[in-house]
Amino acid sequence: MTSIANEYQLKCGLEIHTQLNTEKKLFSLAKNDPFGSISSPNHHVSYFDAALPGTRPILNYECVLKALKLAISLNCDVNLNSHFDRKHYFYGDQPQGYQLTQHYSPIASNGYLNLHSDIDNLDTPTKKINIIQLQLEQDTGMSHYDNYEKKTMIDLNRSNVPLIELVTEPNFDSVPQVIAFLKKYQNLVRRINVSTGNLETGAIRVDVNVSVGDYPRVELKNLSNTSSISNAIKYEYDRQINIIKQGKAAELLRYEETRGWNGYETIKLRSKETTIDYRYMPDPELGCIRLDYSIIKDIKKSLPISTDDEIRIFLNEPYNLSLKNAKLLCIQNGKNEYYTNGEVKKYYLDSFNLFREVIPPSFERDCKIIANWVINELLGDLNKLELPLKNIQELFPPTKFIEFIKLLQNGKVSNTGGKRLLFYILENIQTKQFKGNIDLQYLIQKLNIEIKSSVDGEELLKQCQSIIDNINNPKLIENIKSGKKKNSLNYLVGIAMRQTRGRVKPTEYQRIFKNILMIK
Amino acid sequence: MLSNYKSPFNATIYEILSKQTNLKYIGKTRLDEFAMGSMGINDPLKLNLNDVLNPLFPDCVPGGSSSGAAASVSSNMVDFAIGTDTGGSIRLPAAWCSTMGFKPSYGKISRYGVIDMAQSLDTVGILSNDINIIKYIFRLLDKYDPKDTTSLPEKFRSKSGQDPKMNTREWKIGIPKEIFIDLCDPEVWSHFKIILANLFKSVPQVSLYPVSIPSWKLSLPIYYTLCPSEVASNMARYDGIRYGSRESDDFETQNQGGDTENDIILFASSRSKHLGKEVKRRIVLGNYTLSSDSYKNNYMKAQKLRMRLIDEFNTIFRLPNILLSNQEYENDEKDEKDGVDFLLVPTNLTKPPKLVDILNNKNQGKENPIMDYINDFFTVPMSLAGLPTISIPMCKKSSLGLQIVGQYGDDYNLLDFSKHIIINSDVLITI
Repeated sequence: MTSIANEYQLKCGLEIHTQLNTEKKLFSLAKNDPFGSISSPNHHVSYFDAALPGTRPILNYECVLKALKLAISLNCDVNLNSHFDRKHYFYGDQPQGYQLTQHYSPIASNGYLNLHSDIDNLDTPTKKINIIQLQLEQDTGMSHYDNYEKKTMIDLNRSNVPLIELVTEPNFDSVPQVIAFLKKYQNLVRRINVSTGNLETGAIRVDVNVSVGDYPRVELKNLSNTSSISNAIKYEYDRQINIIKQGKAAELLRYEETRGWNGYETIKLRSKETTIDYRYMPDPELGCIRLDYSIIKDIKKSLPISTDDEIRIFLNEPYNLSLKNAKLLCIQNGKNEYYTNGEVKKYYLDSFNLFREVIPPSFERDCKIIANWVINELLGDLNKLELPLKNIQELFPPTKFIEFIKLLQNGKVSNTGGKRLLFYILENIQTKQFKGNIDLQYLIQKLNIEIKSSVDGEELLKQCQSIIDNINNPKLIENIKSGKKKNSLNYLVGIAMRQTRGRVKPTEYQRIFKNILMIK
Repeated sequence: MLSNYKSPFNATIYEILSKQTNLKYIGKTRLDEFAMGSMGINDPLKLNLNDVLNPLFPDCVPGGSSSGAAASVSSNMVDFAIGTDTGGSIRLPAAWCSTMGFKPSYGKISRYGVIDMAQSLDTVGILSNDINIIKYIFRLLDKYDPKDTTSLPEKFRSKSGQDPKMNTREWKIGIPKEIFIDLCDPEVWSHFKIILANLFKSVPQVSLYPVSIPSWKLSLPIYYTLCPSEVASNMARYDGIRYGSRESDDFETQNQGGDTENDIILFASSRSKHLGKEVKRRIVLGNYTLSSDSYKNNYMKAQKLRMRLIDEFNTIFRLPNILLSNQEYENDEKDEKDGVDFLLVPTNLTKPPKLVDILNNKNQGKENPIMDYINDFFTVPMSLAGLPTISIPMCKKSSLGLQIVGQYGDDYNLLDFSKHIIINSDVLITI
């Protein structure tokens, strides 16, 4: 079964450039703010960033620290004696005429990142992606071409911003693996706070090497987001397969080449004949980055546990969360503006721990109620109200939240009533109606959602009978009676609950309906 | 390229010197374009080819690249001048103008604000007719500067100090065997031998030793492999885009916008027109050395040989190199008595040529840059090893210099010993 499957096997490798979110630039004291200052070009530019004669690079060790955090998180071997090299090429937005990078002796190498079928949503078993190396380097400035004025304008705010270049082995054999890796990497850099991790702003830039079988690779550049990465790989894969099928591989896939992506096809940028000789040279004045071995241990200690490990913790006792909820707590999506996963995780964990203290150990399974109410109800309401989680911390902290949960737990309020109460509380926090402490007991009264402990049996019986009469659907009733459609009983209960706004326990209604319909 | 450029910031040495109330700044001195040249005549603008003359022999060139510095000192216009020395650019003009030029240990004086020629070699130094002034100014400038990555850190500076027993001790002087070549002006060796004999006769504390530095003879190829590589790299920033001269056709090519092919032309015209011949020659040479085909065979090899040369220097000096680790430092201290304190070497092979001869050769296309490069035979080994070296006149108005070389970091002892030789009227030749 080897030949056909392997002949057309897709092979991908990634080259990822990540801007570090340090305060200052890599070799100068200018502020590292390439996008915040997009409206004021050439604002954060030191004499060095503009490559004025007589200026010198001074290494910013904050960048080294962040690079090491990333290297260690990616299981790399750290190079205790790395150094910088000059990579020469002319470009209008490259002020020095060379880029300082780490070609000959990068700061870290030989790492890996594992992709898991469950956590990373792959249809293959655990996939190990090997990382060849990580190198620290300078970003370039930016060129903007003004069609109206017919001028290229150069903005050096980005010049000398610290970058990490990461190169993987060509270990990917499907597009979903590539996308899963990028998502995981994005989450990682955000989690350990080394980068904003945004593809859209160019804080992360991805080049993909695509090859089929044993043919030379094609490097794809200018891929600005996940969908263009995915589409470009698919297009390029099909293009190469077509060439092979047409028997033109010896001619068209003979050498490595570089291609760009214009949104619907890949276009040749450079091939073997036009390759640039970068004339790498060790920088003659920047010394080695000499590191003490102990720093690796110290950084390891300072890093949070890995997302994968944390997800596994939440999947198991005592939390027993669903994979979806565990991922929501552990993975930074960077999109939601009302709460971060870290804020939600803290709110959840504080609530969970408080709750656990007050319930007997044998009821531990009941703790699931916390996840349900925090993740499903609370977050849903926050989204609906466009209310940031941090705005409720003062009036509705986990201690208050647990008071609320206890009402549900003790049967004082039904689920339906609870939902109303929660929404009411959040809505009033947003409109700043509360002054001081929130009195839950008072609100229950006010909203009239308290479950009556002594229910007037006569009245309930009347209510249920009138519901059965009003729906006027003998066939439905017959089906309930005969047991054909057991769930329809809950339909009746639901109507009753709505009428009394959840003040009566659903079990009470079930009992009465069963009595009326004479179901066992 | 930079004729219309004014730096928005001051060099560290200017900051230090301008704060001294007893010093008065007179002006800038001329030099070869980007400090590349031995004659002091490399100027792409060709403003006034003869505006720096050798004050002692007005039909001759002053030497370069610090031509204006040497001439202004030699003609007593100033008490001292500042220059930079990459392969001999202070020492050669000092010799040709029969004054003194001091290149301190690499990293002693801040390079912040100095336009780079080759960072691993560039050294700021002092020219003066008075050894006491050189020492005074050096003391002012010999300070750690955090703005310069290669500035020698304090912990090393504290290791090198003045030897209190300097004046009572015996001085061991080494003469490298490898320096005796035939290409020199005959007076170089005759004068050199007289001075050695005088030293032996009239300074009883001095003893002379032949020493061997086998890599001395490789120094020129090492230097002319590494230096142009750094030059090619450092000169890459002069594209006329942010500052400096720009040709109008580079604006036009820019207007065609975007693609790579055109971007290459963005500054080709500007560089081609506004960089001089010698600068371009070294850029081409450096880029050849750095190109991927020759990098390992040339650049890497030259780096290794440079290390070997430094090791050879370390083995002949009595003092250990302060840059070596403490352990090595202690081991070396045990056999402290072996080794010499200073080396004596001539500065220049020939006397300054006549300007008219150079121009004639140039006009007839007979320039020979290789001959200029060979002129650095006596000076580049100390540049490659970063050793403190002073050039003093062998005799008045002879245009022949004598270099006194110390171990790395031993600058003050070197200056004191030099002073001893200068004030002892029996050593140098008095004609």
